[in-house]
Amino acid sequence: MILNLFVLTPSRIVWDSEVKEIILSITSGQIGALPNHAPIVIAVDIGILRMHLNDQWLTMALMDSFARIGKNEIIILVNDAEKNSDIDPQEAHQSLEIAEAALRKVEGKRKTIKANLAFPQSRTRVETINVI
Amino acid sequence: MAMAALRRESRRFVPFVSSPNPINAFRSTIAPTEEQVGLGVRSISTQVVRNRMKSVKNIQKITKAMKMVAASKLRAIQVRAENSRGLWQPFTALLGDTPSVNVKKNVIVTISSDKGLCGGINSTSVKISRALHKLNSGPDTECKYVILGEKGKAQLIRDSKKDIELIMTELQKNFLNYTQVSVVADDILKNVEFDALRIVFNKFASVVSFLPTTATVLSPEIVERESEAGGKIGDLDSYEIEGGETKSEVLQNLAEFQFSCVMFNAVLENACSEQGARMSAMDSSSRNAGDMLDRLTLTYNRTRQASITTELIEIISGASALEG
Repeated sequence: MILNLFVLTPSRIVWDSEVKEIILSITSGQIGALPNHAPIVIAVDIGILRMHLNDQWLTMALMDSFARIGKNEIIILVNDAEKNSDIDPQEAHQSLEIAEAALRKVEGKRKTIKANLAFPQSRTRVETINVI
Repeated sequence: MAMAALRRESRRFVPFVSSPNPINAFRSTIAPTEEQVGLGVRSISTQVVRNRMKSVKNIQKITKAMKMVAASKLRAIQVRAENSRGLWQPFTALLGDTPSVNVKKNVIVTISSDKGLCGGINSTSVKISRALHKLNSGPDTECKYVILGEKGKAQLIRDSKKDIELIMTELQKNFLNYTQVSVVADDILKNVEFDALRIVFNKFASVVSFLPTTATVLSPEIVERESEAGGKIGDLDSYEIEGGETKSEVLQNLAEFQFSCVMFNAVLENACSEQGARMSAMDSSSRNAGDMLDRLTLTYNRTRQASITTELIEIISGASALEG
C-alpha cells in the first residue's frame, strides 16, 4: 500500500507524489504515518517533514501548517515550505545567526513575537540541510 | 442638391425641433451647430464631423489599449488563481461547505473591484449579497456586511449603511499575496462576531464566463455543533485531532486557516474575473467605436461631396448667368 502525499502552499503545489512513510513534527513531539493510518487531523508545528520514498529519506522545512491523514492520502497545507535541495546552506546559516542575535537583544512585545517566530523558522531550515 | 435643400430646411426648423424628429441622429447634432456658426459657411460642417471622428478614434485606441492591458494582467493572475484553488479544496472535503446552515450571526463578505469599466460583475456580487442578507435576516438572526473594494462600497453604502461592519479598499495596490490577505482575514476575525461567514465573489470559470459564488465558513463552535448533529461535517468526528492543547484550540486554528485560504482564493478569482470582464467590456466598446467611426465616415463623405456639388452648381449657374 502506498501513501499519496500532497504539500500545498497558497502559491503553488510543492510536493505531489507517492511515499512509503512520513514523519511530521508537532507540538508534542513527532508523529509518523504509515499506509492505512487512522484518519487524523494534525496541527503541525514549525519543523521538518521527512518522507521515505524509493529507499531514500527526503526532508522538507515546513512553516505553520495543518495536516490531514485519511484513506491513504496525506494533505499538508502550509504557509510556506522548502525542499532541502532548495535551501542554500550559507544563507540558511546566516539567517539563523541573525535570528539568534535578534532574539537575544529584542525588546518590545511585537518584536519579541516576530523574533520568536523567525528563530524556529531559520533553525528548521538549517536542520533540514543537516539531516541528510 | 437634395442634401442642400434638406440642410436649409433643418436650419429653418432648428428653433422648434430638439431631438426626436431628425432623420439621422448625426444630422441633428450637425444642424444646430451650423446655425451657431453662420448660415453661409458650409465647409464647417465637415469640420464638425471630422472633430467627432477624431474623438471617436481616440476612444477606440484607448479602449483597445485597455483591453490589451487587461489581457496581460489576466494571464499573470490566472496562473496564481488556479494554483490557489487546491488550497481550500481539502477544507471543503473535511469541513464541508454548507450554505444552508442555520445560524444566528451571519456576516456577508462582499468582494468587489476598486476600478470600474469592468462590466457587470460588481452589480451581480452586490445583488447576491443583498439577496443573502434578505434571506438571512429574521426576528432572531442578524446579518452584517464586510465590504472589500470601492465599487461594492459605493453600491451598498447607499441603502445598507447601518449594517456595514468593516470596509477595506485598495487591496490590489500592492501585489496580492497570501500574507496580505491573511492580515485582512485576521482583521475581520478580530473585529467581527460571527457564527457563519459567507464570502460572495465571482468565480473565474473562463475568459467569458464569471459565476457569482458563495463560500461559507463556519466558526469553530458551529462546526462542533454540526459535527455532533451528523451530516457531512459529521465525518469530522471520525478524525482524531492531534496537536495543540485541546481539540477546540486545533479546531479554532483550523477554522481561521480555512477562512484565510478561502479568502485568498476568492480575492484572486475575483481579480481574474475583473480583468476578464474588463477585457470583454473594452472589446465591445472598441467594436462599437469602430461602427460609429464607419457611420461617421459615410456622413463625412456625404457632407463633403454635397458641399463640392453646391460650389460647382453656384459656379456654373453664375457662369451661365454671365454668359446669357
